[in-house]
Amino acid sequence: MNPYIPLFVIIPFIGFLISLLPSNHQEKIIYRTVFITLLSHFLLLIWVSIQLYFHHNGAIFFEGPALYKANNENFSFHLYMDNQTIIFAVITDFILLLVSTFSKTYLHREKGFKRFFNNMLFFFLGLTIIEFSGNFETLFAGWEIIGIASFLLVAFYKDRYLPAKNAMKLFSVYRVADISLLLGIWLSHHYFKRSINFQELKSLDIIYLGNDHDIYIQAIPFLFLLAALVKSAQYPFSSMLPRAMEGPTTSSAIFYGSLSVHMGVFLLLRTFPLWDDLVIFKGVVIVFGITTSLFATLIARVQSSVKTQIAYSSIAQIGIIFIEVALGFHTLAIFHFAGNAFLRTYQLLVSPAVLSYLIHDQFFHFVKPNNQITDNFWGRLKISIYQLSIKEFNMDTNMYRYLWNPLKWIGRKLRFFQTRKALILCGLYLLVGFYFIFIKKYYAESWLHTFSFIGGLLSLGFIFSAFESRINAKNAWLQIVFSQFLLGQCIALNEQFEIGQLYLFLSGIVFAAILGLIVLNRLEYFGQSILLNKFHGYSFIRPRLGVAFLIACLGLSGFPITPTFIGEDLILGHLHENQIGLTLLISLILVLDGLAIYRIYARLFLGTFENGYNPTAYRSS
Amino acid sequence: MTKHIAFDEDHVLHELKHYLPSQTPLKDFIHHNSLHAFQHNEFFEGIFKASSLFGCKVTLSLNEFRKLHTLGRIRTEILTKTILDKFGEADFPGWLDKVLNKSYDFNILPEVGLFRKNWQRFYHIDLDNAIQPLLFRIIGSYLDQGIALWHFPFEDKGLIAAVKLLEEKSFSSFFKTQRAKNLLFEQNLSITGLLKLLVGKETLFQEYIFDQQFTHRGWSGIVGAIEDNPNSILYPKSVTLKDFIILELLLEIDALTVEFGDNWQPLGQLVPKEPADLFAPIRRTELKEVLILWQMAFEWSYYDEVFAGIISLQKQKKSLPVKDSSQINSQTEFIGIFCIDERECSIRRHLEHVQPHCETMGCPGFFGVEFFFHPANGKFYEKLCPAPVTPKYLIREIESKGVRGHEILFSKKANTMFRGFVITLSLGFWAAIQMVLDIFRPKMSAAISDAFAHMNLTSTLQIEVSTPIVVENGLQVGFTITEMADRVENLLCGIGLSQNFPPIVYAVAHGSSSANNPHHGAHDCGACSGRPGSVNSRVFSFMANHIEVRKILKSRGLIIPEKTQFIGALHDTASDEMAFYDLDLLSPENKLKHNLNVVNFEEALDLNAKERSRRFASIKTNKDIKHVRKSIQKRSVSYFEPRPELGHGTNALCFVGHRQLTKGLFLDRRAFMNSYDYRTDPNGDRLLGVMKPLPIVCGGINLEYYFSRVDNYKMGAGTKLPHNVMGLIGVANSSDGDLRPGLPLQMIEVHDPVRLMLIVEHFPEVVLKTIQSSPEYYEWFKNGWVLITAIHPESNQLYFFKNDQFYPYTPLLKKVNESNDVHVLIDLATEMKTNEIYHATQEHIPVHILN
Repeated sequence: MNPYIPLFVIIPFIGFLISLLPSNHQEKIIYRTVFITLLSHFLLLIWVSIQLYFHHNGAIFFEGPALYKANNENFSFHLYMDNQTIIFAVITDFILLLVSTFSKTYLHREKGFKRFFNNMLFFFLGLTIIEFSGNFETLFAGWEIIGIASFLLVAFYKDRYLPAKNAMKLFSVYRVADISLLLGIWLSHHYFKRSINFQELKSLDIIYLGNDHDIYIQAIPFLFLLAALVKSAQYPFSSMLPRAMEGPTTSSAIFYGSLSVHMGVFLLLRTFPLWDDLVIFKGVVIVFGITTSLFATLIARVQSSVKTQIAYSSIAQIGIIFIEVALGFHTLAIFHFAGNAFLRTYQLLVSPAVLSYLIHDQFFHFVKPNNQITDNFWGRLKISIYQLSIKEFNMDTNMYRYLWNPLKWIGRKLRFFQTRKALILCGLYLLVGFYFIFIKKYYAESWLHTFSFIGGLLSLGFIFSAFESRINAKNAWLQIVFSQFLLGQCIALNEQFEIGQLYLFLSGIVFAAILGLIVLNRLEYFGQSILLNKFHGYSFIRPRLGVAFLIACLGLSGFPITPTFIGEDLILGHLHENQIGLTLLISLILVLDGLAIYRIYARLFLGTFENGYNPTAYRSS
Repeated sequence: MTKHIAFDEDHVLHELKHYLPSQTPLKDFIHHNSLHAFQHNEFFEGIFKASSLFGCKVTLSLNEFRKLHTLGRIRTEILTKTILDKFGEADFPGWLDKVLNKSYDFNILPEVGLFRKNWQRFYHIDLDNAIQPLLFRIIGSYLDQGIALWHFPFEDKGLIAAVKLLEEKSFSSFFKTQRAKNLLFEQNLSITGLLKLLVGKETLFQEYIFDQQFTHRGWSGIVGAIEDNPNSILYPKSVTLKDFIILELLLEIDALTVEFGDNWQPLGQLVPKEPADLFAPIRRTELKEVLILWQMAFEWSYYDEVFAGIISLQKQKKSLPVKDSSQINSQTEFIGIFCIDERECSIRRHLEHVQPHCETMGCPGFFGVEFFFHPANGKFYEKLCPAPVTPKYLIREIESKGVRGHEILFSKKANTMFRGFVITLSLGFWAAIQMVLDIFRPKMSAAISDAFAHMNLTSTLQIEVSTPIVVENGLQVGFTITEMADRVENLLCGIGLSQNFPPIVYAVAHGSSSANNPHHGAHDCGACSGRPGSVNSRVFSFMANHIEVRKILKSRGLIIPEKTQFIGALHDTASDEMAFYDLDLLSPENKLKHNLNVVNFEEALDLNAKERSRRFASIKTNKDIKHVRKSIQKRSVSYFEPRPELGHGTNALCFVGHRQLTKGLFLDRRAFMNSYDYRTDPNGDRLLGVMKPLPIVCGGINLEYYFSRVDNYKMGAGTKLPHNVMGLIGVANSSDGDLRPGLPLQMIEVHDPVRLMLIVEHFPEVVLKTIQSSPEYYEWFKNGWVLITAIHPESNQLYFFKNDQFYPYTPLLKKVNESNDVHVLIDLATEMKTNEIYHATQEHIPVHILN
């Protein structure tokens, strides 16, 4: 039985690779690849599920290869399949099969026909990895893949301003969720002293020792919850969902209407054993669920655009699903997920039809609504709620006001890091630091820790300044690379540490850094400005450079399966759970480096390319 | 276009509205010239002015032209002639080199928007990002026709009044600062007052307003359009562009105050800038000359081919007998009067082929009867005539058996919390099944716009006035006998049908069914204000069948034999299906004939479906014809099909003349065809009546396609796929985007951007007199927005109109393609590889003479 499980991940992966081969106008070949991939996956899934039902009871586990193994460090690719997996996977396959068939005709002759289906299979790969994951590391890999696939699909019409802007907006929030998940994984490593498999999760006896450790085991679910809130667009992250509906209607339907948006629910269900006994945590989930569904329903009521209305209605139902999960009604939650996914997919697919349908309906049944609003407290309250709902309860503006703007403000204050002087000084600091790494046994630990912490601060400084940079992209890119080096050094100095892991981490960085620099140099060579003051849209004339740079970004930001990622993961393992300060520092660096890196990609390769020659869109469209 | 130093608010608003897109809410789609504001200029002058103001592309790009030339689509001989005509022998080599080889700098900095950009330069503030999401949400909710479940409070009071009331009563606010809120409640709230705070210098006010409103031309345009045509929406909203601008100015002040406190200088104080005259004439650059040459060569490469086709066709035929009374011989089984629409061009050809003893004619699809239509149980009227006409009549549907169903999955209740909970858990699973059905077994449903549902097949209409005459809302219910006779006479004499009537005359209107298509109105009949013309064809047939009407007509010399009957019909141009109305009125003898005719119609529809299918990738044209027909029908009800039909794409010609002029010529569905017989009207008395609607209807369609094709981003709606329906009035990309007027990419990709060539069969002097009848009508031709050629009916000499005169034109093309079988042509036609113009244009089949 077990040997089949890897196929569930291998099929999408092979399908994705094959779909990269044809050229854009070979629509039939592209579609067939997608269809065969999905159908074979679906059939295999049904077959295995039936087998599972008759021969085993419960779940099967597959121990995958270890990607990295040394001492007690173990980074393995495990797969797992239980009822939850089956239901989520069946619904995923079913919806994707339908929507891809729908899209075959819908996207005919679109310039991004191939790109769309590549993305869809990439997304499918991410989903199956999540659904079939056997441990958190594997789940995280899938989680990151959908993040990138979402980013690319929001920016599907990359020659317009709003998709570029909203892709970045979505990515920023996703990045917070990713790092939160990563921290959760790190904490659980520390708590359990190893990587836990989902198989053992249910039988895991989590004992509250009543000592310092409790705070960690209790923090783990909160970190997972943050990740789930973001992915499922719950309060206060809801406003990003309608803004993510920039791609073709069909992609909005699968990503934000039905599948991607329910992955938060999946995560909560998966991690339920971890918080089964935490009453306070359940209370928090319920509060978020109630707040979200209340706000989202109100916002949906006042929306005058159809897709936004569907998005908020979907969010409201997911809020209720969160409550169901917290209360332990898991069967109901899964049914609710299925119903919501089908309904929203359908609603979105036919959303353009509402115009003629509702106008026709209005033609025969219109009654002018009674607009009497009583002039008492309730009347005034009603009006206030209306106004707040129109403003989406300030969710979108708050995200700027309380999150991004302060970060940018700090970045502006740290412009010193953009100077050549800063780069040279830090280069020296790095050299000294690496020297220390090799001879660290001769120095006092406390001294090394201080040196390491300062390195961490410098790394943060660079990343802040790169995150806000409006000048040369090469400069910002170098700042990010420096920041990564400082980060590696910071951790290497922190404790006894295998140098091989540092090499692994840095090898990824160096490769990505060089690739990135080559691309930037090519752009300059072609006479293009690489200032980060606006979206340049170079994908339009240099699509290949765009792809190369995207790969460099994936490498530099620690995308799963890249050496950087494994290194990052291992490095995190070296933080002590009592080093709260350092942990927060490093998390912040990781959040910001992702943003700074993709910001460079977005600024250079997304947006409108103006050469006065080809027609371009107005900024507001 | 004078320069306004002192700021005259009303005048500027008037000007602004003139330049903003004037597309009304999508429920009625009326094609119009996207650059109508420039129509008082010569065509190229006007479009380049628009380009320098708004940065839009107004021709294909130089590269595209050059590729088209390499491809042979632009013929070298035509290019040569174009250059020679314009610059003469001496400068020819220089210009040829410029046209073919020289490279140019294409950068243009649109003038509109320059001044307001300075906020970013001098204040480092992105005002658009700061205010647009909220501004669009407010105006969207205010104008919403029925998507939101909760209506904008006080929406009947006017935009600013409603916002005031809201702000007064609410505990929250749209504004972040007290300053903006205080300004809202000031006694003399005005655009000028707010501009003083924002801009300071009065000379710059006009520029600022233009800059500001053109950053979101879609929303501003719709506000202006609704202000001017309140009836363009069903749910009445009182809105003015003035209120909208005031709201935006307040939000701007608010955003600036948030950022800089109360102490910021008006933009005009800080920016050293002289007021610019936006409307000054533009400089002709060499690049523009080159583009003009290319555009003309592109157009004439096609026109020349058509002219050559006409000439050699006429040579083959014996010219029409002068004033022969038996133009329609006694064998004629039936006549079909179709809409002039170029999509009907092919079905007419097929019908004539299937039944050689039939005649087809063309007239604008409202059949000369203008009225409002009141469907049974409807709460509103629908206008069924060309947009500029305001009818005085009302046709009521008295009884209708058709009941329109509901689509449960379209219920807005699914979007509330508790009912949504129940619905997702129950209907959610039905949605899954429905999705499978819709994808694999598409069929007609209430959520699909159905051309035949516009009026039920068996419904009863009140067409004749009752005694006493009823007047409803200022409209006379029904027509009197004389009014009917006038209309029938006008139409029949206009198209030259005054003698030798066959037993049955079909008045075939058209409409279009499509699913998931907010632009469905753009596929319906343009002469019926973007609706199916079924009611018009029935009303016209009723009038022409009326005994009393025939008596009056007889007294005027128009004798319709008793046995001749008129039948209304509707052709669905997307599904290629047809319905006939009031068949029970047919005499037993005609009923038999009709049953035979239906077989002909069916066969013609099959052939038409096959011809259309060549442009659809989902259908193999050479498959069994019934299968092709079925696939065509399926497209019109498929949610996943963004191209149920291709609308007016490819339109380029408009004929006014006898069918003999074009019969036997394969024009690939690119010609509007209006029947007209110069012999019945030697002095051209009726010609103006016939030609009057053509520039506005056909020219409007043609120019909208032209501009949406050359710049689908700025003047078109872009690709359909990400469209989000806003308030049932328009579409936008994304949730924070501007409305997108114009045509979507999927409608225009087959179109070659050429101007409409009107070809009139009459003496040049008569045509000249006709087009010069009124200055505003003459403007279309004089300024070259529509081109016109007269074909001398006796000598068959072509006369092209330019510089206020008709000049003889002799086609350069010597040998016109010939073909024995249309189907071979269709089967062998190229399919476009991409929708770039140089690939797309290869789909067109050249003009052929059919033997």
